[in-house]
Amino acid sequence: MAGGRFSLDLARPSRQHWLGYILLAPAVLLIAAIIVYPLIVSVDLSFQNVGIARLDQPRRPFTTANYERLFTSPDFWNACWVTLKLIVVVTSACFILGLGTALLVNNRFKGRSVARLLVAMPWAVPEVIAVVIFAWIFDSSFGLMNWVFLSLGLIDKTINWFSDPDAAFAVVATTMIWKGYPFVSIMSLAGLQSIPEDYYAAARVDGASALQRLRYITLPCLMPVIGVTTVLVMLWIFRDFSIIYVLTGGGPLKATQTLSIMTYEQAFSFFRMGYASAIGVVTLVICVIAAKLTMRRAPDNL
Amino acid sequence: MARIVIDQVRKSYGALHVLKDFSLDIADGEFVVLVGPSGCGKSTMLKILAGLEEASGGTIRIGGRDVTDLAPGDRDIAMVFQNYALYPHLTVAANMGFGLKMRGTPADVITRRVQEAARILDVEHLLERRPRQLSGGQRQRVALGRAIVREPAAFLMDEPLSNLDAKLRVHMRAEIGALHQRLGVTTIYVTHDQIEAMTMANRIVIMKDGEIQQIADPETMFERPANLFVAGFIGSPGMNFLSARAQGGTTRLFGEAVPVPPGADGDVTIGLRPEHIEAGPGAVTFMARPSLVESLGSEKYIYFEAPDDNRPPGFLKQSEEDQRGSRLIARLVNAGPVRIGENVTLSFDPARLHVFDPATGKAIR
Ligand SMILES: Nc1ncnc2c1ncn2[C@@H]1O[C@H](COP(=O)(O)OP(=O)(O)OP(=O)(O)O)[C@@H](O)[C@H]1O
Ligand SMILES: [Mg+2]
Repeated sequence: MAGGRFSLDLARPSRQHWLGYILLAPAVLLIAAIIVYPLIVSVDLSFQNVGIARLDQPRRPFTTANYERLFTSPDFWNACWVTLKLIVVVTSACFILGLGTALLVNNRFKGRSVARLLVAMPWAVPEVIAVVIFAWIFDSSFGLMNWVFLSLGLIDKTINWFSDPDAAFAVVATTMIWKGYPFVSIMSLAGLQSIPEDYYAAARVDGASALQRLRYITLPCLMPVIGVTTVLVMLWIFRDFSIIYVLTGGGPLKATQTLSIMTYEQAFSFFRMGYASAIGVVTLVICVIAAKLTMRRAPDNL
Repeated sequence: MARIVIDQVRKSYGALHVLKDFSLDIADGEFVVLVGPSGCGKSTMLKILAGLEEASGGTIRIGGRDVTDLAPGDRDIAMVFQNYALYPHLTVAANMGFGLKMRGTPADVITRRVQEAARILDVEHLLERRPRQLSGGQRQRVALGRAIVREPAAFLMDEPLSNLDAKLRVHMRAEIGALHQRLGVTTIYVTHDQIEAMTMANRIVIMKDGEIQQIADPETMFERPANLFVAGFIGSPGMNFLSARAQGGTTRLFGEAVPVPPGADGDVTIGLRPEHIEAGPGAVTFMARPSLVESLGSEKYIYFEAPDDNRPPGFLKQSEEDQRGSRLIARLVNAGPVRIGENVTLSFDPARLHVFDPATGKAIR
């Protein structure tokens, strides 16, 4: 053998799994460095009373004050409530739009590939650009939305989208839906294409109507995809920062302040890094629980 | 149960004519097999019958009712698919009861009919499983079960056995045959395997390029093929073909004068089945030098060159596996020892010959 006795023969049956570990090692080390280490640091910080975190400073004494303050703070519960509202509204809208468009462009028609491209387009637009577009659409003086509503006669004076709490929440939700539904659409389309044509043929011979085919074949067959996609969309909403920050900065009156915005604000506006870390840790725990619950339900259906 | 009348059904995809004037009258309770090489339009015909594809022309009547433009669910037929099309998220019982459920049948009736079908097919112990927990043969049975619980007027089956291994296929073949005997439901069965067609059918329909070549019972198909294609398609190993010149009711084969039907005149193609060649002298006797001998225990396949005067026509390569060129095959039962390169005496009965017009391919009788 060319490598002589120093070469490592990975083809040996007893060493089959070595190659896997070797290939995985760089990624594992990288993840440990950029995710696990900061995670440990922030858990550690959340139990200290720290203003600006500096690694060269000695540890402050252990305290649970950050958590006590957090759970009694109305701002925290407000942020939880806003996050929950956003998750429910955006996830369900993304699914209705995403599944709907996927079912549409899964049909055979002229210009299908163009339609698929258009459906997927918002996904390719960088978040900040999407936000700028929507900020313009909802601008209170030159915005498209006010003009449309005025022209249709739905309103008689312009709405100031960013100073009314409900309107601001609606704007944030709309932007997130626009940005998020293509992902659901792409995933569902991939799922739809993996359903064998024969299932539908068999169901048609069995006398199932289009609605029954959707209910009894398409949706159950998509269940695994839907489960994974729900988790990913939910996590995206949990951690998304740029859309809300650029559009409203969390306001007005904290109406759009999610957990991630609150974390940022505490850490970098008020420089309460210990407190911010506590919010981050709680968010992480919520995310893990939510993901577990969603993932456990989905595959059971298949 | 119903009679099915297919009248002049055509199908084209753009300029491609997949079915050309397909007409077939299927009696109530008959088992008809559509057979032909890949791409000849068998599945297309079945899909048109099921209502899954639209015909470009022609009419279809099932049980006296014109169903040409009826939805698949309204035709009172059940279909068995090549890869079973069992829904992975439903149990076996739910799969079998799916058609009844879609029709709004009460739950207790569904349970009873599923139980009954499961008993017939011997899958009662599998009812609570999912399809992926079943073996190939069990899936096949469940797919049949899904068809029979509906108690339809006709069964359509598209190569239902092609995913099974050889042994299981023989077994399921017999089982489907028995099921047909028992239920007596009109069945249309598609396959590209001529052995399946021969063993199962009441009548066989042989197709090629969207055209019916011959409709006949298996016996007739074997003994009186209507043309060269049918002659080469049916039988295993396939028929030997020789070319010859006929004149005044005789021709010369292997150097011997052989009587042929009086209609044959000029160039003809002669067909002789391997099993009609016998060891030892007979009505027409000739010598052959085997270039290959395959022994299957009870019988021997002997390959030998056709005489120069009777070299088989080059265009006759019917099936892919049949690449024997100008070699002929004799299938001998209980022959003595035969060695490669040593002359053997063979013979055949001229009454067994098939004579074809090489230009049109039609049989001359
Ligand atoms: N949707 C379609 N568009 C165009 N041509 C098609 C379409 N479906 C089938 N064909 C053509 O129609 C012909 C017949 O197809 P069909 O599926 O009926 O063949 P088959 O006899 O069932 O063959 P096999 O034994 O391989 O299943 C083929 O030449 C095929 O290419
Ligand atoms: Mg086919």
